[in-house]
Amino acid sequence: MISERNTHRFMLVPAALLLILFIYLPVLKGATMAFQSYNMFDLSNLHFNGFENFINVITNPDIRFLQILGNTLVWVVGSLALQFLLGFLLAMLMKDPFKGRGLYSGLVFYAWALSGFAIGLTWAWLFNGQFGLVNDIFIRSGILKEPVGFLSSPRLAMISVIIANVWYGIPFFGIMLLAALQSVPGELYEAATIDGAGRFHQLFSVTIPYIRPTIISTTLLRTMWIINFPDIIYAMTNGGPVNRTNILATQMINKIFKEYDYGQGAAIGVIIMVLLFAYASFYLKMSSRKEGDV
Amino acid sequence: MAKMNKVFMLGLIFCVAGFSLFAGGQQDAAGDGAVSLTFFETMTSPGRTATIQGIIDDYKAANPGAEINLISPPYEQADNKLTLMLTSNQDLDVVEVRDHTIKQFVNNGKLMDLSGYLKDWDEAGDLLPLANSAARTVDNTPYLIPQFFFVKALFVRTDILKQYGYDTMPATMEEMYEMAIAISGENAAQFGFGFRGKGSSFKISDVMILSDLDNIDPANVYKTSDGKFSFNNDVAREAVANYVDLFRNAVPSDGINWGFNEQVNAFISGTTPFLIQDPDTVALVNEQLGEENYTVIPIPVGKSGRSYLDYGFAGLGIPSYTKKADEAWDFISYMTGAEKNAEFCKAYGPLPIHGASYASDPYFSSGVYKAWETTMSDTDTYSFIKYPLDSPKYPGWAQVQEQYMQSLLIGEITVDEAIAKWSGYWEY
Repeated sequence: MISERNTHRFMLVPAALLLILFIYLPVLKGATMAFQSYNMFDLSNLHFNGFENFINVITNPDIRFLQILGNTLVWVVGSLALQFLLGFLLAMLMKDPFKGRGLYSGLVFYAWALSGFAIGLTWAWLFNGQFGLVNDIFIRSGILKEPVGFLSSPRLAMISVIIANVWYGIPFFGIMLLAALQSVPGELYEAATIDGAGRFHQLFSVTIPYIRPTIISTTLLRTMWIINFPDIIYAMTNGGPVNRTNILATQMINKIFKEYDYGQGAAIGVIIMVLLFAYASFYLKMSSRKEGDV
Repeated sequence: MAKMNKVFMLGLIFCVAGFSLFAGGQQDAAGDGAVSLTFFETMTSPGRTATIQGIIDDYKAANPGAEINLISPPYEQADNKLTLMLTSNQDLDVVEVRDHTIKQFVNNGKLMDLSGYLKDWDEAGDLLPLANSAARTVDNTPYLIPQFFFVKALFVRTDILKQYGYDTMPATMEEMYEMAIAISGENAAQFGFGFRGKGSSFKISDVMILSDLDNIDPANVYKTSDGKFSFNNDVAREAVANYVDLFRNAVPSDGINWGFNEQVNAFISGTTPFLIQDPDTVALVNEQLGEENYTVIPIPVGKSGRSYLDYGFAGLGIPSYTKKADEAWDFISYMTGAEKNAEFCKAYGPLPIHGASYASDPYFSSGVYKAWETTMSDTDTYSFIKYPLDSPKYPGWAQVQEQYMQSLLIGEITVDEAIAKWSGYWEY
């Protein structure tokens, strides 16, 4: 018995080593950089500088941290809500077998395989104020009289990048929720029908409660993904116009890739991790509490 | 049985640990007698990489046994990847250095001083003054040999202008503004100027704005000769206001989000007949538009009677830690020699670095390239200036300039406020 337990522990050691080497050490290194004056422009000046990177990121008037934070919130909430709702709708439509479903699902879920940057470039052209397909359709159908610069408008730029991100993320929810929906036992629907429940009531009394764990885990994962996903914004607007679409992740990219300031870039990364950790803790706590009540 | 399990597990652990330790190991050099170099390209594009590979193949044909491994990361990540590889002293022998990365590489001791090689190079004497200046960007020391120059010029859709009754080219920036504004709005899809709203937009906007000043410091375009910030005077203030006026009257509102793709596409489609761009745009425009529908002229002069032009460049350097410096130099001198340099520049589009290329090759002094031949030779009218590439603030300037310029263009802040923000950034 004792030797059996030891064997299990030995089995875990290689995986633990790999995790430590390839995930935790890099994260630790990154977090350490956040407290260093670590700028590739001149590494001879490398030194620990306490919280200076964080103070600079938050208070530098050229960075507009509060605006970036607000943008990040809008980007995440807007993208997540629409991705989830449309993904759920898609999953509901796909749940019942129909002719050609396999082919259709392949086509629909294809977006999932595309590079975020490539998607951003494509949508940048779709929304282009002079040549874009969106303007062409709106003008031909009479909705617009003259072209709109969607990506250059302070009011419309964030909506535009969210639309692109929603298009990209629907397949994720579609796939996950479809799998969850297919696992709901048919007997539950039969019982509900016998009790006189209509479709709407069945949705909220049977379907959603049953797939609740999947909803919780996928929305949590997706939130983390969206907040760390600068590709589409970068390709479409570069964070503009006037920082209207600059989020924490795009600002982090700017710091590292354009300014070579790994210290401040890492500080933004740490801020993102702290926000996500707080969010995940709160989210899971609220979720488990509700579950307990039920 | 238990003992056997333990031994097996310990063996597995050591294997995993060993694998991890060697995961980052470097590849062994080629065998004795054969030269093997690693060449890192940063301004990657499919056509460009193919051209470089062609030159490498020619070099290998002329040097049997030589091997050159070309690393071509995606353009967006290349500078960062090179930074990381140099910082960790990874095996590199020839590196492509950008004008905006050379300072950091020198700061970190990663580039070799090429003075010794340059002294003995029989083609060194034919390098353009601009090439010598570019090579010595940092500390007046040649850490690289430039491969080419990007110098801005004005691309003009002659066929479009003719439709609106213009038979002559604008000689001054003021005339260009007037023409661009005049033809805009004649029909819903017609505008005048191919704006650059994002992605180092200052390299076009500042060329246009600062051409009104007659006392720009050639060593730093953001200083006047009395050491003050270039924009902090009445002439510049008015020039910025004129630039905003051009945006509002001759550019689609979408222009604020235009990068290279959008502005070139607008030129080719005829939406905007004026485009300020680099010579590598020529091949693209020829392919999609045809040579008969457009021309290229030097940047029109400002109220100062001059244009102040940046010369973007990239060059080849040798990592300071390489053990194959002589072999690396042999390849660099081959690739940047007049013959291969001209070949490279014809295929890729930018301007060559040797005087001989302009003197003996009609390609670089006639047709649309005459604009650049004029720019290079008329030093009274076209002044080459430098950006403060050696300042640690330079890397962050693009974002700062862009956000306040965009804010100004959409009317959120005034000209004075924008200038104050920029001045505050540089602290001049």
